[in-house]
Amino acid sequence: MSLMKNQANPWLTSNLLVLGLGMLPALLLIGVLLYFTAWAFAFSFTDLALVGRKSVEWSWVGLQNFERLFTRRGFLESLWTTVIFVFFSAIVGQSVLGFLLAALLRGTQSTIRTVVEVCIMLGWLLPDIVAAFLWSATTSQTGLVNSLIIVPLGFPPVNFINDYALPVVTIANIWKGTAWSYLLFSAALDSVSREVVEAAKVDGATPFQRIWLVMLPIIRPHIATNMLFITIWTFTYFPLIFAMTGGGPGTQTQTLAVFLYNQSFSRGNLGFGSAISVAMLVIVGLLSLVYLRMLREPK
Amino acid sequence: MLRKNLLTTVAAMALAATSAMPAHAEVTIMYAEWLSSLVEPGIKNFEEATGETVNAIKLPGQGYDQRIALDLSAGTAADVIQMDSFMVSELASAGYLHPLNEQGAGWDQFQYYQPGLLEVASYDGQVYGLPTDTDVRMLWYDKSNFEKAGIAVPWEPKSWADVLDAAQKLKDAGVQYFFQLPAGTKQAEAATMQGFYMLLLGADVPEGDRNRLLNRETGQWIGDSPAIRRTLEFYKKVYGELGMPADLNYAADPGVAVREALANDQLGIHASGSWEDACLWDCNGVNLPTREERDAMVGWTPWPGSGEPGAKATTNISGGWTIGVNAKAANPDLAFQLVTTIFDVENFKAWTLANHRMAVRTDISESPEYMEDAYLAKATALAADTTGRDTVPGYQTVSALVQQMTAQILDGAEVEDVVQEYHDALVDEFGEDKVITYE
Repeated sequence: MSLMKNQANPWLTSNLLVLGLGMLPALLLIGVLLYFTAWAFAFSFTDLALVGRKSVEWSWVGLQNFERLFTRRGFLESLWTTVIFVFFSAIVGQSVLGFLLAALLRGTQSTIRTVVEVCIMLGWLLPDIVAAFLWSATTSQTGLVNSLIIVPLGFPPVNFINDYALPVVTIANIWKGTAWSYLLFSAALDSVSREVVEAAKVDGATPFQRIWLVMLPIIRPHIATNMLFITIWTFTYFPLIFAMTGGGPGTQTQTLAVFLYNQSFSRGNLGFGSAISVAMLVIVGLLSLVYLRMLREPK
Repeated sequence: MLRKNLLTTVAAMALAATSAMPAHAEVTIMYAEWLSSLVEPGIKNFEEATGETVNAIKLPGQGYDQRIALDLSAGTAADVIQMDSFMVSELASAGYLHPLNEQGAGWDQFQYYQPGLLEVASYDGQVYGLPTDTDVRMLWYDKSNFEKAGIAVPWEPKSWADVLDAAQKLKDAGVQYFFQLPAGTKQAEAATMQGFYMLLLGADVPEGDRNRLLNRETGQWIGDSPAIRRTLEFYKKVYGELGMPADLNYAADPGVAVREALANDQLGIHASGSWEDACLWDCNGVNLPTREERDAMVGWTPWPGSGEPGAKATTNISGGWTIGVNAKAANPDLAFQLVTTIFDVENFKAWTLANHRMAVRTDISESPEYMEDAYLAKATALAADTTGRDTVPGYQTVSALVQQMTAQILDGAEVEDVVQEYHDALVDEFGEDKVITYE
């Protein structure tokens, strides 16, 4: 507050009423967000159900739901699936691909750049459900991948969704989300001053060294910010996987978000579902702390 | 950002549901796309008769049950709702539905509904939904692929061994989806009813409900039994040993995927139900091939029992859909009027006959057109020995747990572990005293 007072318009700071009114929408929004979070947190200690008697006459069950996260099958398996999905799809796939595209296209002719940009933006702009059907069709046995690549090479058609479900949804999500990382890294690299890069060139640094030793350290905060965003998104990402495979075949692609959906809305166990969401909140919160530490300048 | 994402699954759905609701009072209805040909003419007639406007919310069949349950519990559902009969008691026990007995008494066509079928849509002695149709379940098969595999048509399997034998022959003949047995959570209720329960019923003797999910006498769920284990073993044989690809069960739209497989001549046996006479091509009965074309393409046979001593020779279980009224409906009388307009004999009978559905009303089932339909006559013969779903509160949860069991079998889990987890989950949900095991 004192900081604000020093910087803000003196007319504003002397009119606390106006200031309060101005802050009202933000406070309301925060209140709503907190309300929902508190709701989920409170019900994670109950046996509330979606339908049936327990939707009306629910009771407090203490830590039972959290106990079951670890004593019943499902949560830990889904957590592992989610970790694999996030690691390969977001951290490795989207970030690395986005950065490489941004680095390679820096300073190239605008036409090539525009074509590539339009292509990767398409994935980002398509609605999740459309993308899911598109990828289901592409990877089906009569789909594009089989008819253009696998069959002409003399192999029998591969049933991708059946045999490689997790890699397929991972790749689909890379395709869908790379645009974000690309845009962020493009903007970040534009902020690296040309003189620094030129100086490195004069000193005899190879292109790889210029990226690794000069550009990367400069845009480190951007990398951390990007990681923070895409990790959280991917960790809680639901629509594409759900529409493509519904978590299957079996439970091969059952990430935590799909598991949460199945427990809450198919099995109708909202209390247990809330416990899953609280656990997810804790995990994502811890990950965020790690990234926020990365944001700090090294001592 | 963090919280926003965590809430995406719940809040966005709730918000989407609310934003779909109109701000001013009019009659609203939610129904699945595949029932359009029954609901939409009814809406039109209702609007003409009353001058009211109906806000129709047509939803995809995929995930429909979850959407209805969620909207009703959030208080954002429409006035009139189509729902699967297995959900009625569960929704009614939570106080989400409006009882219909009183209004029904004042409707001249209410008397024709068969009491047994009204019971399915009842809770605590009150009717909460009017059935659209009932069904039987059977094994459909593609005749051309059977000929290719050298299996005699008409196919009349007498035991599970015969079914597996045919599946093996179809596989050897190169039929990609040689035995589509519904499994897993994405198939939802279809996995429970068309797959698991049809096997379970023939897996052991009927005495003491040893071949069911629920002991109906004591009201206890069966957490472990030889029948459950045999059923899971059968799943393991089909998806494990025989290597049936599981992807149809997890396609973006499983119904569409099965139809596509049939059209591409990739389907062998398909465990499904009587509605497939239309639904294999189009659930709303548009662009159906002629009777001759259909009979040349596919045939069906009753599900045989396992062949265990004392088990049933053929099995069957019936479900069906209903239309009911939301307890929160602004004007229950107007809402019920919409229901009765949809079910008015002229509209209802035409739909039943065009789609070869099994009638739930005597004024339709005893009409000459219905009695002369050869397909319906044969299918109705199966209904003589049918059994009802366990339409008691808790069934929806148990059904979801059954689907999880089949999903784990697809993952290659051992039957022993899967049953143990199922038992524990039942105890979690209902308590020790409500779960029994059979040796």
